[in-house]
Amino acid sequence: MRGRNHAGIDAGIRRRIRISAALCTVLCAGLLLTAGCKGKDDVPDSAAAGENRNTAGDSVIVVMTANSEPESGFDPAYGWGAGEHVHEPLIQSTLTVTNPDLTIGYDLAEGMEVSEDGLLWTVTIRDDVSFTDGEKLTAGDVAFTYNTLRETSSVNDFTMLREARALDETTVEFEMERPFSIWPYTMAVTGIVPEHAYGPDYGSHPVGSGRYMLKQWDKGQQVILEANPDYYGEAPKMRRVTILFMEEDAAFAAVKSGQADLAYTAAAYTDQSVNGYSLLSCETVDNRGFNLPAVGRKEQDGRIIGNDFTADVRVRRAISLAIDREEMIEHVLNGYGSPAYSVCDKMPWYNAEAEASSDREEAARLLDEAGWQMGADGIREKDGVQAELTFLYPAGDSVRQALAADTANQLQEVGIHASIRGTGWDTAYDEAQAEPLIWGWGAHTPMEFYNIYHTMKDTGLAAYSPYGNEKLDAYMDEALACPDLEESYELWKKAQWDGEEGVTLRGDIPWVWLVNIDHLYWVRDGLHTAEQKLHPHGHGWSIVNNVDQWEWSAAK
Amino acid sequence: MGKKAGGYIVKNFIRMLTFLLAVSAASFFLLSLSPIDPLKSNVGQAALGTMSEEQIARLEAYWGVGIPAGKRFLAWLSGVLRGDLGISLLYRQPVLSVIREKAANSVWLMGAAWLFSGVLGVFLGTAAGAKKGKWQDKAITAYCMITAGTPAFWLALLLLLVFAVQFPIFPIGFSVPVGVAVSEVTLSERLSHAFLPALALGLTGVSNIAMHTRSKMIEIMESEYVLYARARGERGWPLILGHGLRNLLLPVITLQFGSISEIFGGSVLVEEVFSYPGLGQAAITAGLGSDVPLLLGITLISAALVFLGNLTADLLYLAVDPRMRRERRKEAERRNTHGGR
Repeated sequence: MRGRNHAGIDAGIRRRIRISAALCTVLCAGLLLTAGCKGKDDVPDSAAAGENRNTAGDSVIVVMTANSEPESGFDPAYGWGAGEHVHEPLIQSTLTVTNPDLTIGYDLAEGMEVSEDGLLWTVTIRDDVSFTDGEKLTAGDVAFTYNTLRETSSVNDFTMLREARALDETTVEFEMERPFSIWPYTMAVTGIVPEHAYGPDYGSHPVGSGRYMLKQWDKGQQVILEANPDYYGEAPKMRRVTILFMEEDAAFAAVKSGQADLAYTAAAYTDQSVNGYSLLSCETVDNRGFNLPAVGRKEQDGRIIGNDFTADVRVRRAISLAIDREEMIEHVLNGYGSPAYSVCDKMPWYNAEAEASSDREEAARLLDEAGWQMGADGIREKDGVQAELTFLYPAGDSVRQALAADTANQLQEVGIHASIRGTGWDTAYDEAQAEPLIWGWGAHTPMEFYNIYHTMKDTGLAAYSPYGNEKLDAYMDEALACPDLEESYELWKKAQWDGEEGVTLRGDIPWVWLVNIDHLYWVRDGLHTAEQKLHPHGHGWSIVNNVDQWEWSAAK
Repeated sequence: MGKKAGGYIVKNFIRMLTFLLAVSAASFFLLSLSPIDPLKSNVGQAALGTMSEEQIARLEAYWGVGIPAGKRFLAWLSGVLRGDLGISLLYRQPVLSVIREKAANSVWLMGAAWLFSGVLGVFLGTAAGAKKGKWQDKAITAYCMITAGTPAFWLALLLLLVFAVQFPIFPIGFSVPVGVAVSEVTLSERLSHAFLPALALGLTGVSNIAMHTRSKMIEIMESEYVLYARARGERGWPLILGHGLRNLLLPVITLQFGSISEIFGGSVLVEEVFSYPGLGQAAITAGLGSDVPLLLGITLISAALVFLGNLTADLLYLAVDPRMRRERRKEAERRNTHGGR
């Protein structure tokens, strides 16, 4: 799937044509007006009935963001299931699955062993599984899938795999280039494809063994999935799932006109109400936060790296202490969010030591201690330099812009003059080497934590914001090399805070995390969406991870 | 005559080829100047965050990061000369098959809008010109002034709001009904899905045609032959049709075929509003996603379309206006007698 960010919540420059905000307001105002004029019983169900011929209680129509559509199709090699939107591939089976608490469970796998050096994984699989074309799924197909993806995969990373081998019908062995303890998290999003029916056209005509079959794909519009009648697990309760891809305002129009059963929406729409629908708010690890360059300013290869103000750890701690997350959630997200303390809140590898509350007195004390004395105009100064910071945000992403503005306001309280500036993704990565940028992360794998905090070989600094700590690097390397997944969680936690050092408030704090953004949906009354896993970054396919367990109460 | 028309077409065909070459070279180099980093704009930040450096390097190779623009252009051009427009980087399918798929949807939409704006434009323009200064003229002119200043996508939003949300007569978007298998989609459903977008495009396209037709009509109505016809007692539509229409057709044909580019441009935005999966949407996706082969493919096809539109207008001139045919013949004869063999 093309890994784009999300309309509304996470639009960035990647959003396609953006109808100007003013026009959206006109539209919304109009919609409000029409809603106000309508009688209570005047729900336009006629439209729904006319448009949707599946009136049985085992079908559902879901609206996703326009960029959730996998342009290159349902081929695991080109990001189906992985990448920007991590989710279960539905059409294909996977070796493992992530449980609601994001620990690892089994799908095709029945058992799994890792060698002491972490270089050899042996997985046994079920022998009662067939592809929807009737052919049996064997270890040979698993090996074929992984070997193929190692060569062709776009966003899902298989560079740590040397070779996959089928030892017999039901046993497959993975030989690794380097130890990779979180391999089961890769397995959880890698759909197994049939060796006999895989080719360039697979993306448009996928054959799998998962809960659903691709019935129809009208590109640019909708995907129709139908339950796999021979599925080896519990039979899906929803027999037919139609997924529409629409922009935010079109999605809202689809709800207003009763054409969708469930549609994504953004916090800006939450003060509206729609007859026959209620708002579903899903907890996420879809976080927003900013980086604080932890080294002094210097020029390197024509780029500016580091920031003299934030290079002082006391300043970074003060900034973190000055942030009132609850207030930010109320101001920016209409209350639909939770405070974020790390890039991986509530994941099995999250260290709760990261939790911190706002303390502006302590922040002022730290700034005083660092030599930043309050000036007459309410801005701190040191050696004639004012305490200034510019917060960057991806232009066009209204939520990140608002978070940047709220952060700037809050920092004013402790005497830091912060301004905000919009930027594009093409330059944002470079600019963030010297200034804080409002980022959004949140993956179902610790690899993200690694890439944010671990140093790179050639620069000795982390990739997205200059920072480095050898001790924490060692914990992370050890965690990846660890043969036992449970044990590796502990090492990931240590990399966050080991009692002495870490990336939390008491540690180096090179990143400050602000909020986890709830994913919001309009849901037609009577539709029960089963228990949702913590959604990762991306307002897309995660919602239908468990669509097979959704139900309608008696009357639709 | 046939031979000469043939020569005319061949000459124009060569002109078109050089034109397309220039268009593709220009757009390619504009694209290569674009600051969009394909990797950073296509692979989201969260996806990049879970990748190893090695994987990032592989993706950069796929997107052609670091290969000089000139080299990439020559590679692309040599493919095109062999009839291969390349593979779309985003869709991972041959560019031609992506375009074919999207164009199949757009053809309905643009064709309907084009006919609608042409027919209605001529009708309104003729009526306004014939009734110059009367209330009909004022009403039509006012309407044209308003729509001329109305962006198609705004009108599209308005139509969507009124006819799909407030009064759900038409679907809110897409080219096919929701949740219905292809085999069950009826023609009338397709038409009802294309109706609002086509209307939005057509309505805004009307004003240009109507206003030009109107001024030409006024000119005709003031001409001596109309005065003469009036003196003989001809009135109303028979007068307009008998003496006005053929003279009107010349500017209308130019405008109508020239408006192909406008319809195409407008459709980009209108398709976006109605989530209509046509060429316009594909162009946006390709542009923002640095899918160079696809964007160039669409550019080539649309440039060719516009060029062919203008060529058709030229050829139709000959059919409509006998004076031009005569001039052409005279010119040819002159050349033959003076130039010799």
